[in-house]
Amino acid sequence: MNDYLDLLTGNLSELASGMWVTVRLVAISFGIAMGAGTLVAALRVAPSAWLQRLGGIYVEVFRNLPLLVLLFITFAGLRRAGVPVSPWVAGTASLGVYTSAYVAEVLRSGVFSVSRGQIEASLSLGFTYGATLRRIVLPQAFRTVISPLGSLIIAMIKNSAIIGVSLLALPDLLKSARVIQSRTFETNEAFFWAAVGYLLLTATVTALIRVLESRYAIRR
Amino acid sequence: MSYLFDPANWEWLVTGNNFRFILEGFLVNLEIAVIAMAFALAFGLLLALARLTRVRPVAVAAGAWVDVFRNLPLIFLILYLALGLPAPWRNAYEDVVPSFFPEALQSGRVLAALLGLVLYNSAVLAEIMRAGILSLDRGQGEAASALGMTYAQSLRFVILPQGLRRMVPATVSQLITLNKDTTLVSIIAIQEVMRHGRIVTGFNFFGGVQAPVLQVFLFIGALFVLTNFLLSRLSRRLEVRERRLTAGRATPTVAGVEDQVAAEPVR
Repeated sequence: MNDYLDLLTGNLSELASGMWVTVRLVAISFGIAMGAGTLVAALRVAPSAWLQRLGGIYVEVFRNLPLLVLLFITFAGLRRAGVPVSPWVAGTASLGVYTSAYVAEVLRSGVFSVSRGQIEASLSLGFTYGATLRRIVLPQAFRTVISPLGSLIIAMIKNSAIIGVSLLALPDLLKSARVIQSRTFETNEAFFWAAVGYLLLTATVTALIRVLESRYAIRR
Repeated sequence: MSYLFDPANWEWLVTGNNFRFILEGFLVNLEIAVIAMAFALAFGLLLALARLTRVRPVAVAAGAWVDVFRNLPLIFLILYLALGLPAPWRNAYEDVVPSFFPEALQSGRVLAALLGLVLYNSAVLAEIMRAGILSLDRGQGEAASALGMTYAQSLRFVILPQGLRRMVPATVSQLITLNKDTTLVSIIAIQEVMRHGRIVTGFNFFGGVQAPVLQVFLFIGALFVLTNFLLSRLSRRLEVRERRLTAGRATPTVAGVEDQVAAEPVR
């Protein structure tokens, strides 16, 4: 037991900064995922069959592509091709784009969860299409997507660990644990604290989502 | 763009046995996925049943186990097991692994990879199965016990056949995620498609031209997209069939969003 505490007190700053890198990676990637995901969701509900198909292809491709392959393409691949990509750009772009396909699906199902009758009622009351979307559909859609988006953030926290230990030398939580392990050879201790870190992060997000849910969510 | 489509940058694909070499690596990924899925299904069912049992301590322990392994990054588990598994375990694996398995699966490191994949996916599948079972009407279990069935009998003949059917689509989507996740075992130097890709792009290659990284991994990505697209079609077809078979009654199917299970609320 003492070994565990010693390792924690001896490497606290390294582990904490690793956790902070993980948080920033997830936050930036989530921003990208929401932006791109909203665009793709808009394509998928657009009134043109071609745009819908385009959005569908985007979702199918990025949902079925392993994140690690995406990282190899955006980092090693583009660099070898002469595009100077930094680890942060490649890491957050990959994780963001990877998750955006899921975000698009979640948002689309959120929009479809609002019944047609409401849209028709709103249009017949004289709301424009834009106003209907903004004042009737989106507020309700937002409330149904809280919980699936929360699940996606948790999945992103877990997926972010792939970035650091693969080819991008980003010192995130898992990478820090790996570095501490290779310096001290205390495998169990180093990885135990990394596990605690990840569980703390996912538990925090779960708790936050639960609060948001109890305040806003509609159960269908 | 011109770099991307320059035929010179695609020449590697038809040179030597690069193409075959990549496909062989991809086959290893599929094999790992199938083996891990089989074990994860069996272990996941045990976990789901343990979680639903009326013996409180067992249910609580199984719940904690599932929550821990579902919330840890898979790459964390694989890396930790690769570094932390005692050597005798790895040697034992090398002794028992059937010799007809491909060479890439003979190494003791594969044990760490398989254990990691099974620990993680069994926890996810346990949640899918539990949601499937819980989505059944309570009356089903009650009717079974009113008919004089024991708990085991009611599970075998009434609960599981219905509950597990609802989780088939979600299980297929989990197989897609698992298939993607097999690339992670390249981190612990198992010779699968990512490693083969790196060999082809490296300097010690056999085949004549050094392949460009971007094109090689685009090709590998396309292999995954194609396979997983077919799997997702299968999943959707199963879902539609399930809905048709149970037409008239609203049956919630259990859907997974990137391994996070979303079941309809139990009423």
